[in-house]
Amino acid sequence: MTDAVRNSAGESRFGLGPEDKPILVASGFVLVILAIGTAYTLVTQGSATLLSPTYLLQQLQVGAFLGIVAAGMMLVILLGHIDLSVPWTLAAAAMMATAVGGGAAIPVGLAVGLLVGLVNGFGVAYLRIPSMIFTLGVNAVMRGLMVAHTGGFAPQTAATDLMQWLAVGKVLGVPAALLVWAAISVGVVLLLNRTATGRYIYAIGNKEAAAYLAGAPTRRVIITAFALCGMAAGLAGTLLAGYSTKAYQGMGDAYLLPAIAAVVIGGTHILGGKGRYLGTLIGVILIVLLNSVLSIMQMPEAGRQVIYGGVIILMLLVYGRGQKVTQ
Amino acid sequence: MMEVSPGAESSRPDHVALRGVTKRYGGVTALEDVDFSCALGSIHAVLGENGAGKSTLIKIMSGVVQPSAGEMFLDGAPVSFPNPHAANDAGVVCIFQELSLLPDLSVADNISIGDPPRRFGMIDARAQRRRAESLLARIGCEDVNPLLNVRDLPLSRRQMVEIAKALAKDPTVLILDEATSALTAADVDRVFEILRLLRDDGISILTISHRMHEIEAVADRCSVFRNGRHIDTFDQGARSADEIVQMMIGREIAAQFPEKQQTPHPDTVLEIDHLSWEDRLKSVTLSAGEGEIIGLGGLDGQGQKELLLALFGVLKGVSGAVRIGGSAVALTSPRNAKSAGVRMALIPEDRKTEGLMLPMSITDNLVISSLDALSNGLFVDRKALETAVDDGVARMQIKVGSVDDPVSTLSGGNQQKVVIAKWLLTDPKVILLNDPTRGIDVGTKQEIYKLLRALAADGAAILFYSTDYEELIGCCDRVAVMYDGAIVTVLAGDAITETNIVASALNIEAQDAAKTVAGGPEATP
Repeated sequence: MTDAVRNSAGESRFGLGPEDKPILVASGFVLVILAIGTAYTLVTQGSATLLSPTYLLQQLQVGAFLGIVAAGMMLVILLGHIDLSVPWTLAAAAMMATAVGGGAAIPVGLAVGLLVGLVNGFGVAYLRIPSMIFTLGVNAVMRGLMVAHTGGFAPQTAATDLMQWLAVGKVLGVPAALLVWAAISVGVVLLLNRTATGRYIYAIGNKEAAAYLAGAPTRRVIITAFALCGMAAGLAGTLLAGYSTKAYQGMGDAYLLPAIAAVVIGGTHILGGKGRYLGTLIGVILIVLLNSVLSIMQMPEAGRQVIYGGVIILMLLVYGRGQKVTQ
Repeated sequence: MMEVSPGAESSRPDHVALRGVTKRYGGVTALEDVDFSCALGSIHAVLGENGAGKSTLIKIMSGVVQPSAGEMFLDGAPVSFPNPHAANDAGVVCIFQELSLLPDLSVADNISIGDPPRRFGMIDARAQRRRAESLLARIGCEDVNPLLNVRDLPLSRRQMVEIAKALAKDPTVLILDEATSALTAADVDRVFEILRLLRDDGISILTISHRMHEIEAVADRCSVFRNGRHIDTFDQGARSADEIVQMMIGREIAAQFPEKQQTPHPDTVLEIDHLSWEDRLKSVTLSAGEGEIIGLGGLDGQGQKELLLALFGVLKGVSGAVRIGGSAVALTSPRNAKSAGVRMALIPEDRKTEGLMLPMSITDNLVISSLDALSNGLFVDRKALETAVDDGVARMQIKVGSVDDPVSTLSGGNQQKVVIAKWLLTDPKVILLNDPTRGIDVGTKQEIYKLLRALAADGAAILFYSTDYEELIGCCDRVAVMYDGAIVTVLAGDAITETNIVASALNIEAQDAAKTVAGGPEATP
């Protein structure tokens, strides 16, 4: 018996293979954004503010909230589904966590996310409702429930100390939020690359029928992915409430499109089955830096939106052209 | 290579000709220095194993890919097709292996989809319907209602619509890529009738098929390809089937089917007891012993596939009982079917959509069914995984470059080997096969027959559905013939003949036919 040949790049899924063009392109774009931003600050302020460790760490801290949401979103997108309930899952988790307060705050926030995720997963895996519609409906339901809960006014409760520390505190100079994001990232990488569930996620995203007929627990995997996505949104919500010391209506609205964009810019196929977590990380960094540089350049909000959307479309065009048309 | 033997056929002028055509995909040469021509108004069959370059040949001719070197001539004039549209405009139209019809559009919509008749800029539905009617009439399918949705047509009718759609482009050269592989024998005859009609209308037809008897039935001339090279072209009938097979595989083949097991099968492994599902399965009762290969025969669509799917737990609402090794098992899901107490495996009908995740690596595809066994606690054991992959590749002799390459880079035969190897890794006791050799080259087919025998010898019970009667006759210890959801006859031993299978399949006095023929001079061919 001869040993089968293995690609050296395939040995380690952490290394860059030839199929990782989107990751390289996105990384290049991050450098371009930094270069343009630095050139701008050198001309206007005479200093390279963007390249200082303080600035970069601060950006990563802000990026942590988006990064956590995107990590969960990626699992769902890899399945070929999508979770549009993220905005109000996030807000609901934040509101419930601040409303309960004390030591139970964070567990309650996570539990809210888990619950919404389980409902999403059930709807998609068992009721076979397209995730785009089902999660959109769940988002509306959550929104209604939260408006009913607060009576339409801004919630009066405040975030607990632990929530605030996790969001803005530091450990040896490193923001705690960044450490939370790092821990989640390690978890997702292990899940995707080292566990049976991870392989099932890719398999289902490629061809659910083939995975089912191969004896993969397809429903369980779909529910697990939605549950994790919900919990990620819940965690991001509790941290974000800590960051701004309170929960508020619409706090999750700014996270849906950027999270999807980060995942897709990072090279994950929007129809599922293909993508690496490293790409999602870089996608998050790209979006955070782009936002930041645009605000340093004092670009008016309208212009920022146009550039922001334009960049996403441009990058997808670049990826799309690399793929074969006939297949 | 192209010395054409003199004869009535070859005196016809060349219609399409290729000179020195080479096609490389990266480092792989799919076609090498091919000279090939197809005579005006003839039916020309192209033969070869998977990976011989047939598909590349027709892709070049129909403008899907461009040759790396060489020239193409149409009616003696040099042509090049940058895309399929250009080929269509020049009169070269291809019907590909996978049906290209849109299921939720009507037959008329589908036929005219490329260039619908217009009136004031809008689609003229009436003209479109008339066009569909006249095209369907031309191929003798007046009974197809052009206003029906394609989804509501049976597979064989869809194939006819596909031909009508190709004719709407007014072709002078019609290329069929395994267009009959999904059809039953009766429907194939019908397609052949149409092909002869079209040939007599002056259309040159190029056809690819894996079924030798079909080629004998319809082709005027044959060309054999092997490893990207054109081996020979000859008039149909000038070479025997054995010679052609020789040319295709380039090596001597032993007896086509491995020897059957002579011993009886005393230990019952699988018992199917009055299994019914909706109106597709009617009280099916069958049992399979240890080491026994049971064929499922009959016309296509008589419940054979449903029986396999019901056993594997895919269908909901199945009544009846199934016992494995004497104890009843619940048929709830494929996951349950592969679990420890049941140990069932299903090689599905369509490897591309049901058997494989095509863009994923060979490794990922091989281990997908045994991931739970390869995990220790939380994580997948990489050492065990690599061992399993090596084991699967070696047992099925899968020809792979690297096991990390996408499984889509393999030839059809090797892809099917991956599907089978995936299940071998679960060490199944009951193996269900749903037409596993469809669209697969001769060499791989024989390997699969041998493997089935070897698995049976190791004690597995095998249920083998095939649309190819020769396979059932050559491979199976018993053949259960199904008709309208029920088993009408179980043939055994020398009674397994084509006559008996066909008679039972048509449900005509099956018992009597079996009795008269059993033991007669025309036992197994």
